Amino acid sequence: MKFRDMLRMSGSSLWKRKVRTILTVLGVVIGTASIVVMISLGLGLSRASMAEIEQYGGITTITVSEQGSYYGDYDDSESSAQASQEHLDDEVVEQILQIEHVKDAYPLLETEALITCGGFQTYGSIRGVAPEKMEGLGIKLGQGQFPEENAGQLQAVYGNMIIGDFYNEKTGEGYWYSGEMPDIDLMTDTIMFIFDIDAYYNFLWGGTSEDGTAVQMPKKRIVQTAGVMEGGVEDYSSNSYYVYCDIDELKKILKKEFKNKAIPGQPTTASGKSYKEIYYTTIQVNVDDMDHVQEVQSAINSMGYQASSNAEWVESMQGQYTYIQLALGGIGAVSLIVAAIGIANTMMMSIYERTKEIGIMKVLGCDMRNIQGMFLLEAGYIGFIGGTVGLALSYGLSAIINMIVKSLELGMNMSFGISYIPLWLALVSIIFAIFVGMAAGFFPSLRAMKLSPLAAIRNE
Amino acid sequence: MSVIKVEDLYKIYKVGESKVRALNGVSFTIEKGEFCAIVGTSGSGKSTLLNMLAGLEKPTKGEIVIAGEHMETKNENELVKFRREHIGFIFQSFNLLPAMNAIENVAMPLTFQGMSKEKRIKKAEEVLELVGLSKHKNHKPTQMSGGQQQRVGIARALVVQPEIIFADEPTGNLDSKTSAEVMSLIKKIIREKNQTLVMVTHDDHLASFADRIFRISDGKIVSIENGSEANAASVPDSAES
Repeated sequence: MKFRDMLRMSGSSLWKRKVRTILTVLGVVIGTASIVVMISLGLGLSRASMAEIEQYGGITTITVSEQGSYYGDYDDSESSAQASQEHLDDEVVEQILQIEHVKDAYPLLETEALITCGGFQTYGSIRGVAPEKMEGLGIKLGQGQFPEENAGQLQAVYGNMIIGDFYNEKTGEGYWYSGEMPDIDLMTDTIMFIFDIDAYYNFLWGGTSEDGTAVQMPKKRIVQTAGVMEGGVEDYSSNSYYVYCDIDELKKILKKEFKNKAIPGQPTTASGKSYKEIYYTTIQVNVDDMDHVQEVQSAINSMGYQASSNAEWVESMQGQYTYIQLALGGIGAVSLIVAAIGIANTMMMSIYERTKEIGIMKVLGCDMRNIQGMFLLEAGYIGFIGGTVGLALSYGLSAIINMIVKSLELGMNMSFGISYIPLWLALVSIIFAIFVGMAAGFFPSLRAMKLSPLAAIRNE
Repeated sequence: MSVIKVEDLYKIYKVGESKVRALNGVSFTIEKGEFCAIVGTSGSGKSTLLNMLAGLEKPTKGEIVIAGEHMETKNENELVKFRREHIGFIFQSFNLLPAMNAIENVAMPLTFQGMSKEKRIKKAEEVLELVGLSKHKNHKPTQMSGGQQQRVGIARALVVQPEIIFADEPTGNLDSKTSAEVMSLIKKIIREKNQTLVMVTHDDHLASFADRIFRISDGKIVSIENGSEANAASVPDSAES
């Protein structure tokens, strides 16, 4: 018997019993829709949280720092064992770039400065980086441009949230306190940096240095503004709190500023002085794919540096969301199980009704496998139709849920919506519905196959 | 050449403690092109005999050889296959599928053989013309009279060009005038095509259309006689109980 003929015969026998078919299909529709919508909620949540992680510096970024520095993990037992200090320099950057799957590496020099501007001030985290690498770090300019290379002076790019951190030197009030934006323009106003913050406070409080002389007011340096990053004062990104500048200029200034003193954030010799060379504070490493982050991370760790990334966090988060999805899907699955029982029931009824018909077919030489196949196909049809309609219903429900959630404005990052049905979920749900239908129809179909042909010739 | 050979056939049913011998040692042969009637009262074992010839029931003991093949050793799948290729069946209550029209009903056994739609519809049309129902080919069973329905049933049995046709009270649900018409039709066609027909009936008048009549009672063949219209094709004897 041809497959097409089997399809046709099963289809027409479903069509003959329209009302019953529709009712059975309805069960599958509800079952499929409940599973798909439930899983779509789990997927939507996990997608929203992944987007959030992306803002916190991405999932493919590894931060490399020296052993024992405050970056990275503390629990490294090997770090104390390998006490020999390995400092981050260009050689290390080269080594890291040799590792497979590493896309790029960004050496960063970090320090702090007190930034003052027109009666307002704030502490800024300064990051020195080569200007040509700034774009690669994900810095997006809203105004101005990146610092020029070899400018001969410090030029700064401000993170978009920094303006909110400035507070009034007299009242101590800033944006986060009063809600009023400081009346300064980072692009045009004169901005000054004080790098030696310790000296500044010692000066303010009239302290003395070790040899007894009064501390001098540290030098205030006028810093040109090159640009300000894109985004409002409350748009967080991994760069929004940093001031970026050319690393070479920053090195020059730090060397001048901290003559004979330890540079903050730099490794020190046994006697408490900085080395001649200024080392990088961290190296940011971009990996080509999330799946390779762990691999690269452990490679860097084995080189004797501390490497940290969001990978573990992401993994544990993904694990959690897998559980949530399973739990939600399980709740949805209950109704599909009920639907499966409905299919089995319908098929049994159908077989009882068609005992004679099946008998006739057997007498006329219909293969037993074909008979079973036709009943399986019928059950599969119910699953397929129910699955397809259920999926359509799910898309509708998903849209409605997203609309409601959006209108509630829960404050989370809901730019994608809380319910999300990817293509794979759509395909899997239809295939699963067909499978459930066929599984439910299996035993009835076996029964149909084994029915005696004698039923056909019994003359009632 | 004998197309059916039955050797010492027994069928014993257990009903509670007691055993019922539905067939109690039956032997006979039927030649190709013969029209045989098995006649008996209700409960005589005639239907059981037909069921076993058609491979719908298994004998308790004995041999059935049809078209050179042993039926009693085949499993159910092989029996289905055998019926599909060698046997046509005409039922008392027609047993047409109500959802299908005449031509689809006739073409159904060809579907089971895996024939393409075009081919089987063409064949079914030919056979429907043979039984004189070309005008009704698109009618559903409910739109036809009993005689017409049985003619569709006959067409369905003939369409696979079987070596043997079994008929179980083929006119049992028809009035006497229609019965006679249908019987003449069956006989005419099998004569034309030189096909073997085995018919079960309780009606002596109907049986008289046959070449040979097997009378069966209490599971045994009590007599074999030539039909009133018997002709040269009949070969008497060859059966003892």
